[in-house]
Amino acid sequence: MEEPRIGVYVCWCGTNIAKMVDVEQVADEVSKLPHVTISKTYKYMCSDPGQELIIKDIRGHKLNRVVVAACSPRIHELTFRKAVEKAGINPYLFEMANIREQNSWVHTDRTEATSKALDLVVAAIRRVQYHEPLQKRSVNVDPATLVLGGGIAGMAAALEIANAGKQVYLVEKTDRLGGQVAKFDLTFPYLSSARQLIQPFIQRTENHPNIDLFLNTEIKEVTGYIGNFKSKVETAENGTIELNFGNIIVAVGLKPFNPTVISEYGYGQFPDVITSLEFEEMLSNGHLLTKYGKEPRNIAIIHCVGSRNKKYHEYCSRVCCMAALKFVHEIRACLSSANIFEIYADMRAYGKGHEEFYALTTHKQIIFLMYDQQESLPVIRQANRNDNCNMIIEMDEKLSGESIEVPVDMVVLMVNMEAHENVKEVVRAVGVSLCGNQFFIEKHPKLDPVATTTGGVFIVGSCQGPKDIPDSVAQARAAAARILASIAQGSVAVEVTTASVIEHLCCGCQTCIRVCPYDAISYNEEKQASEINEVLCKGCGTCGSACPAGAILSKHFTDTQILAEITGIMSMSYKGA
Amino acid sequence: MSYRPTIVAFLCNWCAYTGADLAGTSRLHYAPNIRIIRVMCSGRVEPTFILKAFQQGADGVLVCGCHPGDCHYHEGNYKCLRRFKLIQKYVDQMGIEKDRLRLEWISASEGQQFAELVNNMTKTLLLLGPVKIQRSLEVQHLKQ
Repeated sequence: MEEPRIGVYVCWCGTNIAKMVDVEQVADEVSKLPHVTISKTYKYMCSDPGQELIIKDIRGHKLNRVVVAACSPRIHELTFRKAVEKAGINPYLFEMANIREQNSWVHTDRTEATSKALDLVVAAIRRVQYHEPLQKRSVNVDPATLVLGGGIAGMAAALEIANAGKQVYLVEKTDRLGGQVAKFDLTFPYLSSARQLIQPFIQRTENHPNIDLFLNTEIKEVTGYIGNFKSKVETAENGTIELNFGNIIVAVGLKPFNPTVISEYGYGQFPDVITSLEFEEMLSNGHLLTKYGKEPRNIAIIHCVGSRNKKYHEYCSRVCCMAALKFVHEIRACLSSANIFEIYADMRAYGKGHEEFYALTTHKQIIFLMYDQQESLPVIRQANRNDNCNMIIEMDEKLSGESIEVPVDMVVLMVNMEAHENVKEVVRAVGVSLCGNQFFIEKHPKLDPVATTTGGVFIVGSCQGPKDIPDSVAQARAAAARILASIAQGSVAVEVTTASVIEHLCCGCQTCIRVCPYDAISYNEEKQASEINEVLCKGCGTCGSACPAGAILSKHFTDTQILAEITGIMSMSYKGA
Repeated sequence: MSYRPTIVAFLCNWCAYTGADLAGTSRLHYAPNIRIIRVMCSGRVEPTFILKAFQQGADGVLVCGCHPGDCHYHEGNYKCLRRFKLIQKYVDQMGIEKDRLRLEWISASEGQQFAELVNNMTKTLLLLGPVKIQRSLEVQHLKQ
């Protein structure tokens, strides 16, 4: 191995790191370590001048290893790998120390944070000395795409890809396309018909020559990897058929919250307390009547049902406020003299045209009543015979500070939008992660919002979090563009940090074969050693730690590298020496 | 300087390390004596890593992976759990209190839980005092 010549770069990240970590001291201390050729600090390492600095030093000082101490490697590891590659050294001869997310942002003592940063940088310096150059590998991309879910997002993505001349397999769990949007009457804020919006979409999807549609179908298992996935689907006509595809779009949507659990609202007990989706259906059918067949004279719309409440769901469902205002327009159109009460917790009108829509709605002779989610929910009770109404809502009105009673004949509950129960099955099938609210996690919330940490798997629409139609369609088309780009390229880079067997050390116990979750390892009788299929291997390293003979090398996470990191992390300042 | 326990933590890339990053982006504060090492999967954590950390003077070792059923590699966390039970016994026999070695599940959204975990473990280690592994290593040297 050539003598390591390491360049160390400590980032200020403006004040994000420099405020809590004495970056100059860190750079100064590590400059004294063996093999550290140069160590510097810079305001923003990830900026173009920051990267240029590294590139110039690699060339000028003949560096063969680089350490950057900055943010989480989950954010900029790739950026810096590309930079060092540009300067002509292998991108894996690089290591990052996380001194922002896991240091400057979580600690309050500058001395402690500085000494921790030092430990982390020393660990990275020790580790990088043992890094080996790894060669990039790429695989061909199967030009077909699997889309899970036939709602507006799934269809938008499928059509975008199909229109580009590529094959799409669209799998829908239910017996029809359209998802949630098909259940709506009008859409906000322009009060256009949801049916007119979704029907042409459905027809184009059904008739598109490049879309194979599988209704009443669920995907149980997907095998393979980016560019080369496989799955089986059961069809009524042709039995089980195998599908091959290069990318996956998950667009499984969400479902309405069941308000039965909120005892205050008596849903299920009072026939005229209905959910927003039941109300949509009523409006679509054109009969706005109570269960007794009468026109309601008083209608209340309660917001945030199951939303923004720690007991049910803490998050905001984003679409319900505007949908509730839309109902006002629809009710007014057919019942000009009915009393309409909007019982809300906060009015959220964040989107394009939404605030204007809210302003417009306030002119519709309605009464806004505010309740406090954190204090007490409105309570619905049966009215007495001489009350001249069907039910009474008792509530503490927040703005007036008074306890009031609202007479109502019909109550619409603006129910929260929550993830499907079977979302875990999708997780298992395609290998993506969930956030605490059971929505799928994107690769990066801001910079990579439709990709996931699993290559070739994209998430679009409301399975990533509740959202309205424009946002769902935008995400769908974004994912389609990403996929079409990879198809156009024809090949895609895959994991290089796989495992490999050092044949002469292998004792043939085959423990590795039993622990591999991807069936990537087989036993070569002739060589009397295990063999790893590096295309199937995803680099988890489980075989490496199970091997009793130390015969498996988990590339980029080798024993030598990790042990060097441990020694480094404990070498400088532990025990406050 | 007074005793400050050092924790060496092995965090899986997909859940726990991301959870620890989330603690950062959420600006949750926790004890600064933890040193995190990233592995792709908790299934990669070898007994040697844990022993090495103790040998180098760590007062506690923390291993964090995805919750059962959520492993990015399907079942690496179960493999980790099985191995962990064995290493726990071994470490115990070496005279290292069992509370010094912990395996916990942290999801990518559990920044808060991660911060609390670090603080709790630090508290436990403060009560236990510095690790006495040097003594048990010396005993082994004598035997040899």
